[in-house]
Amino acid sequence: MALVHFENYIWKYTQTEVPALKGINLEIEEGTFVGIIGPNGAGKTTLAYSINGLIPNQYYGVRKGHVYVMGKETEDYRPDELTKIVGIVFSDPESQFTAMTVEDEVVFGMENIGLSVDEIQERLEWVVPLTKISPLMDKPPYEVSGGQKARVALASVLAMTPQILVLDEPTSMLDPISRKQVFDVLAQLKQEQHSTIIVIEHSLENLIPLADRMVLLYEGEVALVDDTEPFFEQMDFLLKRDVFPPGAIRFFYELLKGGYYQGELPLTLDEAAARLRTLMESRRR
Amino acid sequence: MIVSEQAPYIQVENLVYQYPDGTVALHGIDLAIHHGDFIALIGQNGSGKTTLSKCLNGLFKPTQGRVVVDSLDTRTTSITQMAKRVGYVFQNPDHQLFNSNVWDEIAYGPRNIQLPEEEVKARVEEAIRVVGLEERYLEQHPFFLTKGLRQRVAIGSILALRPKVIIVDEPTTGQDIKQSLEIMDFLANLHRERGHIIIVITHDMPIVARYAKRTVVLGMGEILADGPTREVFAQPDVLAKTFVEPPQITQLAQVCVDLGFDPGTMTVEEMIVRFRELVS
Amino acid sequence: MNKTLLGYVPEESPIYDVHPFVRVFFLFVVSLFPMIIAAPEWNALLVVLVIILMRYSRINLATLKFYVPVAVSMGSLILFSYTVFAGNHPEFIELVRFLGIRIYYERIVEATVVYFRIVPMIFITVYFLSSSRERDIIVAMRSVRIPFAITYLVAMALRAAGMVLQDFSIVRQAEKARGFDPAGKSIAYKLRQFVMYIIPLFALALRRADEFSNALVARGYSFTGLLRNPKRADYVLTHYHFRTHDLVIIIVLAVMLVALLVLRYGFGLLTLEGSLTEALLRSILL
Repeated sequence: MALVHFENYIWKYTQTEVPALKGINLEIEEGTFVGIIGPNGAGKTTLAYSINGLIPNQYYGVRKGHVYVMGKETEDYRPDELTKIVGIVFSDPESQFTAMTVEDEVVFGMENIGLSVDEIQERLEWVVPLTKISPLMDKPPYEVSGGQKARVALASVLAMTPQILVLDEPTSMLDPISRKQVFDVLAQLKQEQHSTIIVIEHSLENLIPLADRMVLLYEGEVALVDDTEPFFEQMDFLLKRDVFPPGAIRFFYELLKGGYYQGELPLTLDEAAARLRTLMESRRR
Repeated sequence: MIVSEQAPYIQVENLVYQYPDGTVALHGIDLAIHHGDFIALIGQNGSGKTTLSKCLNGLFKPTQGRVVVDSLDTRTTSITQMAKRVGYVFQNPDHQLFNSNVWDEIAYGPRNIQLPEEEVKARVEEAIRVVGLEERYLEQHPFFLTKGLRQRVAIGSILALRPKVIIVDEPTTGQDIKQSLEIMDFLANLHRERGHIIIVITHDMPIVARYAKRTVVLGMGEILADGPTREVFAQPDVLAKTFVEPPQITQLAQVCVDLGFDPGTMTVEEMIVRFRELVS
Repeated sequence: MNKTLLGYVPEESPIYDVHPFVRVFFLFVVSLFPMIIAAPEWNALLVVLVIILMRYSRINLATLKFYVPVAVSMGSLILFSYTVFAGNHPEFIELVRFLGIRIYYERIVEATVVYFRIVPMIFITVYFLSSSRERDIIVAMRSVRIPFAITYLVAMALRAAGMVLQDFSIVRQAEKARGFDPAGKSIAYKLRQFVMYIIPLFALALRRADEFSNALVARGYSFTGLLRNPKRADYVLTHYHFRTHDLVIIIVLAVMLVALLVLRYGFGLLTLEGSLTEALLRSILL
């Protein structure tokens, strides 16, 4: 079943002239890891906020079409209901850290949805090791680095066990190590929980190995949507829309175009290295 | 490598910097920055990149050692004198926008260094032209501009001081590819056409590969590598000490070095060329 | 040492075994002592006791040196205002005339009393700030069942204050990078330029406010929901328990407060008249 379903969805913020989203048709299946990419201003954040109800509840604008989450229109949910189903992690680690210690932060959401002390304890025992934040629990925000804050934000949202996890550029403000750490958690989630995860990202290197489906948003419309490997076979199309895939994939695309290589595009560095090796050895024979 | 006949514009000698709470951020840095340099300063968070760059313009004074900019020692030179020589563009434009309209914002620097008002006007107009700000933005409050425009206003405000060196702290973080290339092309233009020395602090390795002639790698308060970008990228074990990885294409070449690829490969095009050579 | 918003706290300390509420109670109750005690020598003794308490709590006394300039300038200000600006009474004893201003004995004595009332209060506050983290204030409030909306407001204020302090230092650096050099300029200049700080700090706060409120919503925090659902599992409180020694301390402090009140207003002790300080000043100045 499509957990999230956009049907001719249009959203225009009150203060802009042009709609941010101009008719989105998109389905997201349960248990898939979806990557959403596109230039800044394409409407990715608007799309994310439309899934968890921040749009239209917190923002003023004109809404047309439908957004169904688990079969029901987002407008028809009570705000707190939708929050329990769709969790969202934002891009600025600083401003989404609202409490005075890490533990308070992770527990805050759980207290808000009315969990008991025992339930909270249980969930902490799962979420804290997963996001590797045990040594940080008593620390105040100014002793926690950006990357650590991002993991705390992830932990706080995961602790509420939403069915759908949306991450809006969770690592764009982070350094490469912290970025990897966040994606490691996502990889573990994907493997262990088969969660439905939607990630908006610019860091394609980390996103591509995990994504089952890729969506390109361009100027408020879905310009391309497909499973990851066929998605990147449309390389020329992507490049024209200011998408810059990682070097290894681009390299193999050039090989494909030049007739040197047949087959699927490698999605990770290791795959690329292995296939290059095989390719060159076969050439030498 | 730029071989300059002139003496270095900035000379850093055995620089040690210790924060008030006791942590030593820099453990004896020796560095020479020459006319014509376009440097990328890379390294993990906490390696000392920001601390080092703030020592270069006198914001931080050395605990030991010295930093000499255009023959002036930062320990004994006033902030105003330093600002005329080394400009610093902070990562978040919001931290450095102090006025209620763009024109006054760009004029802020020249006014601080006590220039006569006609000179201020000339400098502001020049800066506006160089960064390409349209007329309609001049009366607006910087707060309401888009991030890209705010960044340009911030750079324009620094340019109005006409510093020789411009240090830019993470210009591409949070930007998409097109925006990143725009800002970097702009900096490259400043370097090429107007002779500024550019120092970019960044994590974005493909950007480093494309724009920086020289790369300085910092790790735990020390310089781990300093040289032409190609040579620096060809040392992945050194980079790994400060948790930096070269761009993916470089990594691919390095893993396949035994097949004949160059460990300093910086672009896909180079890799394709080498591939064709190897298979024919 | 661990850093807090306003100072440093020790890594380990016996004071951490005391429930945060009791520490807040201590702050408020003991701060009342100098208001009751007038005789400066007893207030001075109180300061010594607080210092001993600090040592016992493993507070690094070196951090106190930050407060010395405050103490000195404040003392001078008090002395100055009492001697120069306070009026006079026909029965006052004039000590000396300085540049046309008459300095009276009684005023100096008064200034001394006031100064020695304020100093222990400063020390008690410093003691509190050097032994408590921000979270302790929140826990103290929650443990006495202050409504969540209020405690959360305080928590958010603390968090916002922390962010402002972080931003502030960067804004200062950005100003310097634009050639703004406050060294050697008049106070008027500095004050005018101080307004410059406000704009970026506001801009940063406003930009964060949007994402901050989104984050609150995403964590299920809705302002109406709170009133409907008063039963919150106060998870953090499960780490803190009231123990015997907490109760003992509260009782002892309350008793001390009452005792002081009785001594002062019942028996007329601890006042200026007949105090050692008064005798000392009398012998020096008259």
